[in-house]
Amino acid sequence: MEQVIANGLYLGAQYALIALGLTLIFGLMNVLNFAHGQMYVLGGFITYTVYGQLGLPFPVAVICSGITLAVIGGFMERYLFRTVIRRSHREESTMLLAAATAFFFDAVMLLIFGEKQRGVPKIVKGVFNDFGIILPYDRIVVGVVAAVLILSFIAFMKYTRTGRAMRALAQDRVAAQLMGVEVDRYTMIGFAMGAMLAGLVGGLLVSITGVNSGIGGPISIKAFMMIMIGGAGVVGGAIAGGFILGMMESVGLTVLREFGDVTYLVIFAALMVFLSIRPNGLMGKPWG
Amino acid sequence: MAQILEVKALTKRFGGLTAVNDVSFAVNEKEILSVIGPNGAGKSTLFKLISSFLSPTSGEVTFKGERISNQSPHIAARKGVVRTFQETTIFRNMSVRDNVIVAHQLRARASLLGFFLGSAEARRDEARFAESADEILSFLGLDGIGGEFARNLPHGHLRALGIAIGLATKPTLLLLDEPFAGMNHDETMKAVSMVRKLRERGLTVLLVEHDMQAVMKISDRIVVLNFGEKIAEGTPSEIQNNQRVIEAYLGVEDEAIGL
Amino acid sequence: MTKKLAGLIVFLITVFIVVPWLISVTGRTDLYYVFTSVALLSIASAGVWLTFYIGRINIGQGAYALMGGYVSAILIMYYGWSFWWTLPVAGMFCAVASILIGIPILRLRGVYFAMVTLILTEVMRLLALAVPITNGAKGITSIPPPGPLSIFGFVLVPDFATLQNPRIAFYYLSAVLMIICFALMYRLVHSRIGHICMSLQQNEELASSIGVNIAALRVMAYAISSFLGGLAGAVFIGATQSIYPSSFTVTDSVNFMLNCFLGGLGYVFGPMLGTLVLYLGWNLLFSTGEYQLLIYSAAMIVLMLVLPNGLLSLGAKRKD
Repeated sequence: MEQVIANGLYLGAQYALIALGLTLIFGLMNVLNFAHGQMYVLGGFITYTVYGQLGLPFPVAVICSGITLAVIGGFMERYLFRTVIRRSHREESTMLLAAATAFFFDAVMLLIFGEKQRGVPKIVKGVFNDFGIILPYDRIVVGVVAAVLILSFIAFMKYTRTGRAMRALAQDRVAAQLMGVEVDRYTMIGFAMGAMLAGLVGGLLVSITGVNSGIGGPISIKAFMMIMIGGAGVVGGAIAGGFILGMMESVGLTVLREFGDVTYLVIFAALMVFLSIRPNGLMGKPWG
Repeated sequence: MAQILEVKALTKRFGGLTAVNDVSFAVNEKEILSVIGPNGAGKSTLFKLISSFLSPTSGEVTFKGERISNQSPHIAARKGVVRTFQETTIFRNMSVRDNVIVAHQLRARASLLGFFLGSAEARRDEARFAESADEILSFLGLDGIGGEFARNLPHGHLRALGIAIGLATKPTLLLLDEPFAGMNHDETMKAVSMVRKLRERGLTVLLVEHDMQAVMKISDRIVVLNFGEKIAEGTPSEIQNNQRVIEAYLGVEDEAIGL
Repeated sequence: MTKKLAGLIVFLITVFIVVPWLISVTGRTDLYYVFTSVALLSIASAGVWLTFYIGRINIGQGAYALMGGYVSAILIMYYGWSFWWTLPVAGMFCAVASILIGIPILRLRGVYFAMVTLILTEVMRLLALAVPITNGAKGITSIPPPGPLSIFGFVLVPDFATLQNPRIAFYYLSAVLMIICFALMYRLVHSRIGHICMSLQQNEELASSIGVNIAALRVMAYAISSFLGGLAGAVFIGATQSIYPSSFTVTDSVNFMLNCFLGGLGYVFGPMLGTLVLYLGWNLLFSTGEYQLLIYSAAMIVLMLVLPNGLLSLGAKRKD
């Protein structure tokens, strides 16, 4: 029982970080970043290269992942999304662009890194074995780092000028503009930050579960599910969604293991029912 | 005069906030009734309750004896209770004329299938709609811009278009949402005479408004709300002399309440 | 009007005469399958386009294509039905299922609706794996080619097994269905119903205030959309003679949606053009080997930057 909770917490922290990045982008731009899972994978590959191949320290590698993805994210917003949003008649048009970028990421990573599963040496050896919980130390480390990042993110959004500007933008774009918030600048920063978060988690998790170029899509779908549960565009929702999914997976893995595919069928069906009752997730902002 | 709309003990709570509290009144046929009150009095909540865009916590609204509260908004419209919105609510990417024509669909005699197949009944409907749309546009002074896309219209025309859309449904009771908001004196006078002409077309009008001068000029009767409760009901002169009303508006300039 | 009529005639000639002639001249009979696929996929995409028309993002059409395919396969294999009769039944089955599913989910808007439909596709695949009648992962195979279609003894379509090249027959069948489908869509959009749907898309509250039963209208549009998906799926399995749980996946659902975007959401024929370009484009790039996806997605990005409103925004005036 405690094992299930421990696993759920550790997973949940990771997932929450992924969901936070996605929800930040959605809240600022009303764009669902289809490439979010791919950004996670790219983060993993970068850390694999810097730490696994080049032998530099793990924290350096993870930071590299974060920075690279931030730059890519900023670039994507500035040159791709901004153009399309400005010129398209319908808000949903950005979906095609988002999907195309996801494919592009997939293609590039497949070309550069191939199909093989990549992993890196453990960052901390040893296993924690107490209180009925068995948890490898590296998972604990990664979990704690993720939790710290989540808290930093919340603090950043709440207390810094940039964070407050982005929150204002997400809440009411027009009002924020009228109050002098530079929409373009903060949208770009927001997208960059969202991408960075995905990259950071990818870098962290490559040390535990490894990464390969095919998992981008499924991770994107998981991220979507998280913000559907928790609600899109709201920080609390993303965290809630992340932890809920983490818990559900942990429970499912242990309890429903015998039932295989039916597990996910049940989860999906439950999700559809849940959304019919609470259309905006637990605390989401309504679309449009 | 017969009562066509009855608001009975209408209450609406949002969590801990009671926006409308036990409000009752009736609207007589062919009259112009205004609902006024200071800011935050609950006018706009009441408006949405009457037009069926919100469900009451308790109480009901009946139209010609039939309940319209607690139902989908389109049902109220089908029974003849049609609301307008504040001015940016039009079909942006359709022409002005199409905006008004599409609103006629409530009064179509042909079925949807008939429209799809282009039956004779449907074609007769289309002809009727076009004629009626032109008449409404000219009634509201919008003829000549029928071809413009609605999103390009200036502010004043948008307001008129909103009313045109409402008129196209051939309502019995028209609910106007702050029709005089943001208008200068001349515009207000024009709008006042337009509302009078609506009555001449046989409509009953209920409007929610801030602009006291206009309200005093146009209304047959007035209902006053304060803090979600009805504090007065009567003719304009009765309301102007009503102590409770004056107190509610204390701090507001005398001219604003038409004295 | 004459320009449109001329365009229509040119199009019909191209589809029914020019393309088969070109194929027979170049000997590339494999291209029949390509064009058949384009026609059928464009029907499914048309369904997705219709959902867009009422203001919803539908990434679940693959679920109905799969459902329609299975209904048809099961009726043919286990109940000995004629292929032709399974087509309308598969479509109707999907329409009814979509009404049941649609009533709760169509209230959702934007990304929430999109995500639920995405899940729907996956759920359908899992159902196909789990339910006994669908034969699980092994799928249903060796489905016989369509028999003759005759009405009152008058043979409209001969038994496909007797044809020298059934691929041509499937091509014609798909092309005819595609043309009928788009003709009906065109009529719908330009009729009063189309305007009502448009009003629903642009401002739901206002549409409600003029008496439009927005819930019912949405469900109706979704049902038609799903019918088209089911129909496309049913014809597909006739051509491929087999169906598996993986026959239509999330990727396909996403592609149907992309076809609509690329062609242009504001144009009735957008899905047709979008499907043609995306499908042909993808297949043409096959010779680039490992760079296929890279070039494909890069081209898509460039197209979106240049023509964010779809290909048809180049020439045609907005049809809404």
